[in-house]
Amino acid sequence: MTAVEKRKLVSKIVLSLSSLSAALGLFFLFWILYVLVSNGLDALNWNVFAFEGAPPGYEESGLKQALVGQLILVGVASLIGVPLGVLAGTYLSEYGQRSKLAETIRDISDIMMSAPSIVIGAFVYAIVVAPMGHFSGWAGVTALTIMMIPIILRTTDDMLHLVPSTLREAAFALGAPKYKVILQVVYRGAKAGVLTGILLGVARIAGETAPLLFTSFNDNFMNTDLNEPMASLTVTMYNYATSPYEDWQKLGWAAAFILSMFILSINILGRIILLKKKGK
Amino acid sequence: MATIVEVTEEKALEVKNLTFTYAGAPAPSLKKINMPIAKNSVTALIGPSGCGKTTLLRSFNRMHDLYPGHTYEGEIVFEGRNILSPKEDLIKLRTQIGMIFQKPTAFPMSIFDNVAYGLRLQGIKNKTELRDRVEAALKGAAIWKEVGERLKDDANGLSGGQQQRLCIARAIAVEPEVLLFDEPTSALDPISTQGIEELVTELKERVSIIIVTHNMQQAARVSDYTGFMYMGDLIELGRTEDLFVTPTEKLTEEYISGKFG
Amino acid sequence: MTSVMDRLFGNMTRITAILVLVIVAWIFTVLFQESTLAMQSFGFDFLTDEKWAPNLEKFGGYAAIMGSIVSTFLAMVLSVPVAIGVAIFLSEIAPARLKTPVGISIELLAAIPSVIYGMWGLFYFVPIVRDIVGGVGISMLAAGIVLAIMILPFTAAVTRDAMNTTPDILKESAYALGGTKWDVIKDIVIPYAKAGIIGSLILALGRAVGETMAVTFVMGNVHKFSWDITQPATSIPVTLANEFTEADGDLYFSALFELALVLMVMSFVVIAVSKFYFLRRTRRAS
Repeated sequence: MTAVEKRKLVSKIVLSLSSLSAALGLFFLFWILYVLVSNGLDALNWNVFAFEGAPPGYEESGLKQALVGQLILVGVASLIGVPLGVLAGTYLSEYGQRSKLAETIRDISDIMMSAPSIVIGAFVYAIVVAPMGHFSGWAGVTALTIMMIPIILRTTDDMLHLVPSTLREAAFALGAPKYKVILQVVYRGAKAGVLTGILLGVARIAGETAPLLFTSFNDNFMNTDLNEPMASLTVTMYNYATSPYEDWQKLGWAAAFILSMFILSINILGRIILLKKKGK
Repeated sequence: MATIVEVTEEKALEVKNLTFTYAGAPAPSLKKINMPIAKNSVTALIGPSGCGKTTLLRSFNRMHDLYPGHTYEGEIVFEGRNILSPKEDLIKLRTQIGMIFQKPTAFPMSIFDNVAYGLRLQGIKNKTELRDRVEAALKGAAIWKEVGERLKDDANGLSGGQQQRLCIARAIAVEPEVLLFDEPTSALDPISTQGIEELVTELKERVSIIIVTHNMQQAARVSDYTGFMYMGDLIELGRTEDLFVTPTEKLTEEYISGKFG
Repeated sequence: MTSVMDRLFGNMTRITAILVLVIVAWIFTVLFQESTLAMQSFGFDFLTDEKWAPNLEKFGGYAAIMGSIVSTFLAMVLSVPVAIGVAIFLSEIAPARLKTPVGISIELLAAIPSVIYGMWGLFYFVPIVRDIVGGVGISMLAAGIVLAIMILPFTAAVTRDAMNTTPDILKESAYALGGTKWDVIKDIVIPYAKAGIIGSLILALGRAVGETMAVTFVMGNVHKFSWDITQPATSIPVTLANEFTEADGDLYFSALFELALVLMVMSFVVIAVSKFYFLRRTRRAS
């Protein structure tokens, strides 16, 4: 075999292996998706939405408290985390820019995005749960907010940065003060991107379990009081799936399915918003 | 329709009725091009942006095939065969027809390894042979004096003009029959440009050269034949001294006198 | 009036940005403070003692720490080759009409909560492990594999992004010399994107080491470390997840916090190394 033929053969082999590994990866992932969808759909019925949790064996058992709790926890965390993240990202893009402080904040924030979420749970336990004496929705909200800020900060920073400087300069040239330039021109220009970033941030924290395990803890019954432990889909899923009761396990899959659909929808929505913006 | 002067020398390549359409494009980018390329001379392709000169150049070494979906019609005859045939061995073709790109593209390796790359691809392992051929190529590209003492250095440490000459050395090391130059000096300063132009004139003793350039003066300085293209057609091909002084086609005359483009 | 608003707004943004640094510093401080009791009681032996006996008030983090290290290592060994294969497939092989849908599928799969990987692992994968290697199924091995699958989308996506930074013109130059696809990948793309690829892989490792939910379902939480990966084991996140709510007594909590601190430091250092050493931050031009 000539050298050239050998090279062509090696190339073919390597590329086949690489396609195989892509197939292998996709195989596992689609297996998981299949399991999720089939178990989820199987377990899904109106009971899930109508009833709160109940001891195993009860017919009238559902996820209502977990759904409501999840919405409250994610919602309140977003209400706090999004403005903070957007403002911080605004600082980085519009004020700090390439200063040492700004670069340090960016680097630390990036690292925090990949840091273990369970450690954040432990931290919040120490500063919220321990002083309060009990688990609470507020502790869960705190943990989720801490996780959310770096994500929103980064996407806001990047998206605002994409707005061309000529746009800002034109506004300044008309005599606008900086805060108005930002609020009225820059934010407008980056609207789609920032919004997508927010959606993706919400999607990410909505899927978190570990930081809630010992902050908001869990509850089988309906509770909307943030001062008390609060149910979440993720923790409920964890508890039910690891339990030995089949009906609880089924509910666990229903919860998994609902949560995944929610997260995937938000992701897709975010992409559509970005695509529409590009199309303009 | 087009005015094509007869090429009396032996031909290195001949383009016959070439029509090329990019993937998904509504209309062809090259329309029934007929063009001879003389051996051991320099043929320049000139024309305004979008006329198809680079598209034509990249057809000679089938670069388009890296991006699937396009269609060729017609033939390009090289060494008695049609290189547009689906059966053509592209790897072998590219060792016979080499290419220099618009920006210097030194690989992330040492100077020596850059020039030796094509040789190693062909399976040449003998250290002496590699060294000799690398030295010959660097001399042929008029850069041996500058880098002969530091062949192990990273190629990215060279200046733009030096890197481009390194790329030329790399291309001639495999001893191709044809060299394609795609606006090789557009990213270089005037002194480096001059160096490359001198090199092109020397190299034609050994290879046949096709050079795409948007700089008419460069084409006039460097080439033996010039082809003027416009919107996918070859309008005129002639001996350089004739085409620039007394062009036959009105369009050619307008382009040369700067009326457009 | 406007200048007041202007200053107010500017200060608000600056304060929130600095808040990030404050929070991080606060986290380390609190973790450290909460760990002091355990650190004083056990000293460096905490890192090497395996005995974890809450009722005896004796805590050694060796099993958890080694479990974290080995399970993550196992996950990377399994995941990285496949991730690189997927990245090569996406950046060099896949035809245009496959590239986007497959690429997007991988990114969407990365968005699936890790708890679901854990659930799948527990119900569907553990029995298979049980059948093949015996034992209970719940093991370091199962945890490593589930973790590998979970970080695969992320690892593949960032590796693909690193590879895609290679300029087309450089690749074309290599093709123009008669290179095959593999020649171009191994001689041009990988050397060019080397820093980005290694950085991405290390970043993935940093995330994997902190992963809780994919692993908790299938690892067991047994405070014994053994190189026999078919045995159940524990890791720091798994220990924390299982024991935090049941802990009582200051020493127990302090030991758990010390584990959390170790984990935070490990993860932080790994991610920082990847970031500062390998990954240059890409700034899009304004």
